[in-house]
Amino acid sequence: MKKAILYVNQFFGQIGGEDKAGIEPQIHEGQIGPAMQFAKELDAEVTHTIICGDNYMGSNTDEAVATILGMLEGKEMDIFLAGPSFQAGRYTVACGTICKAVKEKFGVPVVTSMNEETPGVDMFKKEMYILKGGNIASKMRKDVKAMAKVANKILNGEPVGSADEEGYFPRGIRHQTWLESGTPASERMIDMLLKKLNGQPFQTELPMPKLDRVPIAPAIKDLGNAKIALLNTGGIVPVDNPDRIQSASATRWGRYDISERDLKGGEFKTIHAGFDPAAADADPNVITPIDALKALQKEGVFGSLHSYFYTTVGTGTTEAEARRMAQEIVPFLQEDHVDGVIMVST
Amino acid sequence: MKLEIGNFYVNDIVFGSELSYHDGVLTINKEEALAFIREDERITEAELYIAKPGDKIRMCPVKEAIEPRCRLDGRTLFPGYTGEVVQAGNGVTHALKNCSVLVVGRHWGGFQDGVIDMSGEGQKYTYFGRLNNIVLVADTNEEFEKREQQKKNDALRRAGHKLAEYIGNCVKELTPEETEVYELGQMIKRDPEVEKLPSVVYVMQPQSQMEEMGYNDLVYGWDMNHFVPTVMHPNEILDGAMVSGSFMPVSSKWSTYDFQNCPNIKALYREHGKTINFLGVIMSNLNVALEQKERSALFVAQIAKSLGADGAVLAEEGYGNPDADFVGCYVALEDAGVKVVGVTNECTGRDGQSQPLVTLDEKCDAIVSCGNVSELIKLPPMETVLGELDALKRDGLSGGWADDEILGPSVKEDGSIIMENNSMFCGDQVSGWSPKTMKEF
Repeated sequence: MKKAILYVNQFFGQIGGEDKAGIEPQIHEGQIGPAMQFAKELDAEVTHTIICGDNYMGSNTDEAVATILGMLEGKEMDIFLAGPSFQAGRYTVACGTICKAVKEKFGVPVVTSMNEETPGVDMFKKEMYILKGGNIASKMRKDVKAMAKVANKILNGEPVGSADEEGYFPRGIRHQTWLESGTPASERMIDMLLKKLNGQPFQTELPMPKLDRVPIAPAIKDLGNAKIALLNTGGIVPVDNPDRIQSASATRWGRYDISERDLKGGEFKTIHAGFDPAAADADPNVITPIDALKALQKEGVFGSLHSYFYTTVGTGTTEAEARRMAQEIVPFLQEDHVDGVIMVST
Repeated sequence: MKLEIGNFYVNDIVFGSELSYHDGVLTINKEEALAFIREDERITEAELYIAKPGDKIRMCPVKEAIEPRCRLDGRTLFPGYTGEVVQAGNGVTHALKNCSVLVVGRHWGGFQDGVIDMSGEGQKYTYFGRLNNIVLVADTNEEFEKREQQKKNDALRRAGHKLAEYIGNCVKELTPEETEVYELGQMIKRDPEVEKLPSVVYVMQPQSQMEEMGYNDLVYGWDMNHFVPTVMHPNEILDGAMVSGSFMPVSSKWSTYDFQNCPNIKALYREHGKTINFLGVIMSNLNVALEQKERSALFVAQIAKSLGADGAVLAEEGYGNPDADFVGCYVALEDAGVKVVGVTNECTGRDGQSQPLVTLDEKCDAIVSCGNVSELIKLPPMETVLGELDALKRDGLSGGWADDEILGPSVKEDGSIIMENNSMFCGDQVSGWSPKTMKEF
């Protein structure tokens, strides 16, 4: 049988209330408190119960986590559970903290539960399955059942359903899925349209995420002495595409030294699959205007040109990959004290 | 306009001595049909196959899908494309239902081409996995684009449209099983009972982002890159005024079959007179430059407002850059006081964690979402491949790749494949079929 280990606080660990909230972590073989119900619901044996005071975890987090990870060392464990922690603020943070640490250290799946009004939700919902829990301990049976349902799917290698279906907080992950009803988009459209037209509540299938807008940087005060770099998502690369940047949905980028050379067709080309490449292949400067920049530099419009230009492909490239690539490029620009960049999109 | 579509349901397709339709069985004389295809001298190699649901068949690179039809008065099926520019949208058309003509490259694919599986796990990813298909597998002498990632596929696509009309002609003299009637009169001075209902327009943004001619969707044969939004009658869309293009990752594309059967239009028709007053279609497009995008959005909002639309349904044939046209148009309509429902797909990445559209706006509060273009799909080998499976990894299909450090090539030696949804042929079905949605995990 598979094995599970549960984390609870001093209260649910049956040690005591607020006066015992300072106790250090302890591990017990077998099942204490909610572990007894988990034992009934889970397709796994609950081998150990870990108990830690909420205040101790809150004030001595590093020590508490290190102690617990030490206790778990060498223990067989297919899943790690914490809570449910209801609306107890410190307890929710403790559950999230220890689940995250266990997941990172041992690579085992973790599941917890907390009420939506608690700080733990926003702190940890992207890191793990957090079931939407009740606000008081009388919801224990219900919350344990909900946690066990998701835990059992993980234990049995079955796919975990969507956040709505399973009742956990969305983790910022969106995937396509087939509707059980098979209702085609045209019917869903009509339903939404009639509700919107008639002022009734409706549910969009694409809730607008919080917009991540980057403020425009202040103008460069002394352009005449500024160092400028050129970046592009138009796929301009040496003809042999040495960094093997993909033509669409790119995950790779490259930087190419133009301090001693000009950009010429036949030596550079575009590998971008989202537009007609003819003009850029004939003269790559139409996308990465190194020729114009060098001319402007000679005229003294700006101080100097960074020795490399940077390339990736924008078409189909996800925002997350783009962000990662930018984070990888930025240190090169900082190291050379670049004052401003020209970002060419296509 | 009044359009009558007489339906002939195809339960089986066989090759035989005479092109005919009888009791649900479509018989095709293969040699005669191929001779007809070869009339275009550009076709160098051609073969016909039948692919039905449940068959152990994988097709790649699929380029186009068309419903076989004919017009009883002899007008061409796709005005301005297969024949003269004449009015589409009225009269009587006969159609072979549950049936499509598919065009597959014998060897060469491109960015805009895709995959269809007729059975197994892959079948559900495309609408055409559930149809009885006549499959034209052919090659051409269009040497100039053989190794190009972007292909016009002109000879092959035209062959498909002509073949659909050629086959459709076999039901010209027959009596249909059922007749669908699409009738919508002038937009103003309608029945007062209908005018009491909220009025709605359908705004279409077909793919038109290639500056060079020959790749974009066509309206009466006219390249939609050279187009500003205008009003169209929904029957024109259902009746061959629109021909699909050869640009855009294919899961986002609308095939000609999708235009001919556009479920969003049919759904709005069904509600007309009951819950809404369906005014008609505002045909827009998709653009490259910001100014072009803004111009189209201005046109659409102005037309919708001038027509007195209370609501609009907005659908885009694409993702990525076209999201800017989609969101821009959505916002322009809302700002004009028109309540919008958008239909689109998303690009949330293989891990599902990326921003779903390249641009967003809080005003886009009602969206029907049809899939994730970058979803990773693994499929086992298939007994029969029509076309050339290597195209998926070799020719720059939007959802395939030659190699990857972790995933390896898209096509394995045993014929199994790993690809992004991007290359599922018209897989996201934004024109209204899509049984898929997007959910938070």
